[in-house]
Amino acid sequence: MPTLTIDNQTITVPEGTNVLEAARQLGIEVPHFCHHEALGSVGACRLCAVEFLEGPVKGIQMSCMVLAKDDMVIDTGSDGVLAYRAQVIEWLMTNHPHDCPVCDEGGECQLQDMTVAGGHGVRRYTGPKRTYQNQDLGPFIAHEMNRCIQCYRCVRTYQEYCGGKDFGVMGTRQRLYFGRFSDGPLESPFSGNLVDVCPTGVLTDKTYRYKSRIWDLQEAPSICPHCSLGCAVIPGARYQELQRRRARTNRRTNGHFICDRGRFGYGYVNHPDRPRAPLLGHRRVTWQEALAALQNHLHEFCELYGSGSISMLSSSRASLETQFLTKRWANALGSGQLCFEAHPRRDQAARVAASQAPDCSASMEDIRSCDMAVLVGADPLAEAPMLALALRQAARRGARIVVVDPRPVELPIDCERHAAAPEELPRILQGLTRPQQNAFASASEEFGGALGRALLEAKNPVLIGGSDLLGPQGCQMLLKAAEACSPTGSTCRSMLLLAGPNSFGGAMLSDDGPGFDALLEGMEQGRIKSLVCIEADPVADYPDRKRCRAALARLDLLVVFDCAATATVQEADLFFPTTALEEAAGTLVNNEGRMQAFEKVFSAGTPLLQSAAGDHPPRFFSRDIPGSHPQPAWTTLARLLGRDAELEKVRRELEKIDPRFDGLAGLTADSEGCRVVAPRQAPALVAAPASGVTASDQLHLLVTEHLYGSELLSDLSPCLQAVKSDPYVWLHPQDVARLKLVEGKPVRLCTSLGEWTLELRINGDISPGVAVVPRLRGTVVETLVPGSEPMLCRIEKA
Amino acid sequence: MRSCEPLLFKNRRAEGPVFLEGYRKNGGYQGLEKALRGMSPADVREEVKASGLRGRGGAGFPTGVKWSFFPSDDAGEKYLVCNGDEMEPGTFKDRQLLLADPHHLLEGIIISCYALGIGTAYIFLRDAYRECAGNLERAIDEAAQAGLLGDDILGSGFSCEIHVHRSAGRYICGEETALLNSLEGLRPNPRSKPPFPAIKGLFGRPTALNNIETLANIPHIVTGGAAWYKSLALTEQGAGTKLYGLAGHLETPCCVEAPIGMPLGELIRDFGGGVWKNRSFKACLPGGASTPYLTAEHLDVALDYEPLEQVGTRLGTGGVVVFDDRTCMVAATLNLLRFFARESCGWCTPCRDGLPLVCWLLERLERGEGTREDLTMLQEQLSHINGRSFCALALGAMGPVDGLLRHFAEEVEDHIRMGRCPLQD
Repeated sequence: MPTLTIDNQTITVPEGTNVLEAARQLGIEVPHFCHHEALGSVGACRLCAVEFLEGPVKGIQMSCMVLAKDDMVIDTGSDGVLAYRAQVIEWLMTNHPHDCPVCDEGGECQLQDMTVAGGHGVRRYTGPKRTYQNQDLGPFIAHEMNRCIQCYRCVRTYQEYCGGKDFGVMGTRQRLYFGRFSDGPLESPFSGNLVDVCPTGVLTDKTYRYKSRIWDLQEAPSICPHCSLGCAVIPGARYQELQRRRARTNRRTNGHFICDRGRFGYGYVNHPDRPRAPLLGHRRVTWQEALAALQNHLHEFCELYGSGSISMLSSSRASLETQFLTKRWANALGSGQLCFEAHPRRDQAARVAASQAPDCSASMEDIRSCDMAVLVGADPLAEAPMLALALRQAARRGARIVVVDPRPVELPIDCERHAAAPEELPRILQGLTRPQQNAFASASEEFGGALGRALLEAKNPVLIGGSDLLGPQGCQMLLKAAEACSPTGSTCRSMLLLAGPNSFGGAMLSDDGPGFDALLEGMEQGRIKSLVCIEADPVADYPDRKRCRAALARLDLLVVFDCAATATVQEADLFFPTTALEEAAGTLVNNEGRMQAFEKVFSAGTPLLQSAAGDHPPRFFSRDIPGSHPQPAWTTLARLLGRDAELEKVRRELEKIDPRFDGLAGLTADSEGCRVVAPRQAPALVAAPASGVTASDQLHLLVTEHLYGSELLSDLSPCLQAVKSDPYVWLHPQDVARLKLVEGKPVRLCTSLGEWTLELRINGDISPGVAVVPRLRGTVVETLVPGSEPMLCRIEKA
Repeated sequence: MRSCEPLLFKNRRAEGPVFLEGYRKNGGYQGLEKALRGMSPADVREEVKASGLRGRGGAGFPTGVKWSFFPSDDAGEKYLVCNGDEMEPGTFKDRQLLLADPHHLLEGIIISCYALGIGTAYIFLRDAYRECAGNLERAIDEAAQAGLLGDDILGSGFSCEIHVHRSAGRYICGEETALLNSLEGLRPNPRSKPPFPAIKGLFGRPTALNNIETLANIPHIVTGGAAWYKSLALTEQGAGTKLYGLAGHLETPCCVEAPIGMPLGELIRDFGGGVWKNRSFKACLPGGASTPYLTAEHLDVALDYEPLEQVGTRLGTGGVVVFDDRTCMVAATLNLLRFFARESCGWCTPCRDGLPLVCWLLERLERGEGTREDLTMLQEQLSHINGRSFCALALGAMGPVDGLLRHFAEEVEDHIRMGRCPLQD
């Protein structure tokens, strides 16, 4: 641990820390462009020079390239250093177009800051500037090469960190070009990070182009709601419009980056079809009227049929506070008919996930630093995109990554793939739970055993499972396997991918409560007369849509609280508009059990562009802000419970009632979050029904998540429509030949739930005997829901 | 006229290259035989270290010292890479050697591989050297046929293979770590050091990197011994002979071998035939385009590493480029700087953006548009680029600017004062 002196302050830093980082720990920011905490030091920009006065290195050197050593005495602001840095800025600015007034980076531009800070006010160079042709890089990223200062951060992010191959650096000397071989959309699902890493306005957010300056944005630390990982983000809003999202740093979860689904999925907040006023039937009513109707009805049901006739459903989209108050309200009404997930298998799987010991669950940071990871039935890019990036960082450090899956799981790394049939997965997990066993009953178990032995030999192994494919039983086996594969003195950590950003929180609060199946049965039998859906969409999420619709149709009252125009909202008798995540504060518990608070970014309201019909400013007077009726679900629940709508109080109450949530009340949104302190009890599961392919023309149908188009909220974002796929089915070439089908031609998918015509795609990485259909909302296959019970299907020529 | 018994050029014939037969007839591969039969690898390394041989590629680092950092005795894959990317303007000595006598280099490589415990060597050759590549490939075939290359060389149990790789043709590929990236198929951006190539080089393995001429000296050191080799130099501290390329405004431009330490004036007079057209000597680059100029007052300086450093320049590659008294040194410097600015890899700011700015300033001065502020700016460029770039390219590039401002300040001033180039009619 070297001790050194920087600007008369002494600091001791870990071995291997460079001087730039050591200075940063003292709060001294050495100007730099090419260095980035996640990308490391490369010594290209030469801006971070400091003067070494004493110690093994002398003179002006680049602080990012010199490791801190004992007895170093450093001046970060000597006259020589300042003169040199000003020269570097002058060099970088010789060809810069100085187009700050029309540049989206203005105000948050590192080059602008450094130029001002470095004192470079007059351009002495009066010669011609080099110029470039820009490229169309697709719907997400705008390209303005003339502004480039060649820091190489973009290529290092895109190629090295994210594993993208279609964007790079071309040319030499002062004619470098950062782009693609030719125009075209960037292929990496992490391309948006180019916006964050570019220190100037070369690569900017195309969806945010010409909208705002950063100082006009309302920003606050928030959490991405588009999968169960809970990545840290900073949304930015102006004129009642959520205009962008950028990555926030949380070293335990996402690190410095986010995926494109998270970055560009924000549009749901501004969706023109978003219901913004309370509705009684299809009639717009005031909050008072709606609340009075709700209370009257529920009172009536209690009187007539007892409190058991009232049921409640929340979801993994709802904040912990909303879920908690939903539970309190159900209790207050005396109803035990409450659950937090409309999809019964996902519900059970989340309850299993919440039963893992907090110190055994893997964070994304654990995954980035693991030396072996085995993924069973997990498709990171579709189910939790940033997990793919975490695995890539592990692989870059030499970790062994093994993917066991019937699907053609794509990852931005070279890894070992084992195309296992769906029925093999339980046997492989069985083997994993007994790594020490000598003889196994089947080759699949033997394979699992071998993987288990490799995990036992690793230093920091991780076992990752996808809850949709594994189901609750598989998830439970995976947790057992992780326990069995823990090397002495270390832990094989586990991570289960869940359905939504707060699946874990809902599972914690569920305890032994009923699943939605039980609620549906109650509706079908007529025992349950009313259902209150709080940010839940059972019509779309329950695997059997027909059954769900029929059951809901029997209700006397369907109440829906939501921020999006979901399928269930269309059926509601009484509707309450709720705020989007960015419009209120709250807490989410991610798939590792990490509680993370998020702040309110802005107040709900119809974006000015919509309410003013394109005019700016609007030409009418209004007593209130148009579209500002949505309320946080938890505040409405607090009102219904007759108490103050104070977030602090709700958090303190939850912490007090349930010590597993210890630390909740003290959480701040800009922290790394904290894990729930104790696991919930493992749920009792019924054995999974065995499914076998009976007829030779039958295939296993796997409905799976897709990067774009599966997740409810991001699918409402207009800019993601451009990258959404048309519906298709994936088959193995063997099956295609056997069934005499032709690639690219439409085929007919026949299941017990219905029949659909889809495009046929062939993939050799898929397990034979399996048909993979991605769930794509708003298409013909919308009603197919991932994570369902194993299903069989036939595929024939259309 | 003083001359020396040639070592490296001993087989150089007007009628064309010498191959295996001619090379062996004149004592070729005796060094290899001596090394394999009578010396341990450590003996060879010791001999090279004692010889005082310094790298002939430009930097002049003592070869024996460089080798002492190499993990010769470690097991596992190690490489020798011969740097033949001779792209420094004014430098053409390695080309002359390969055109005359390709086996000379091969013998040097094989002995070096033996000394360093290396089984695979790559010759990274400048793209334009097609004929040299042909000569080397033929020589490699011949050597393999004769059991001098490949498995179990001369029955010694030592095996070694040599591959010729032709560069894609950028000056930066001569920078040793950029060369390694280029050889691996990556962009030729230099790598940061440490780790040095001797520890982590080609494909992440220990790699010895030496210039063609350096390696061609090895057989002679082995055959004649370190003491004899050292005695060849005319200076006390020098060692061996050097290939000099004589170019520019001379009566007889040529490439010659002369002892280390020959005075500059003597070399120009005796081998270059003196300055052409009866004009007088104004300046020269003593060792390729990246070495600061010498002037008429330096004609007595001995062409050896230390004496040249004492007068503020370097022996470099030994490519002497002479300028006559009608040369505008601003124009000459601009010409050189245009080359360096064009050949920057684009990695670091001082080189990528600083050198074009230097060109712009020199252009202004040469056109007579320069001001005193431009001159100040040029001086700033010199102090800010030197030592602050990622690799040595920009440092070398500023060599001529350094020489210009030190020795020809008055001529630069004249450009500003007269508002035109004083040497143009």
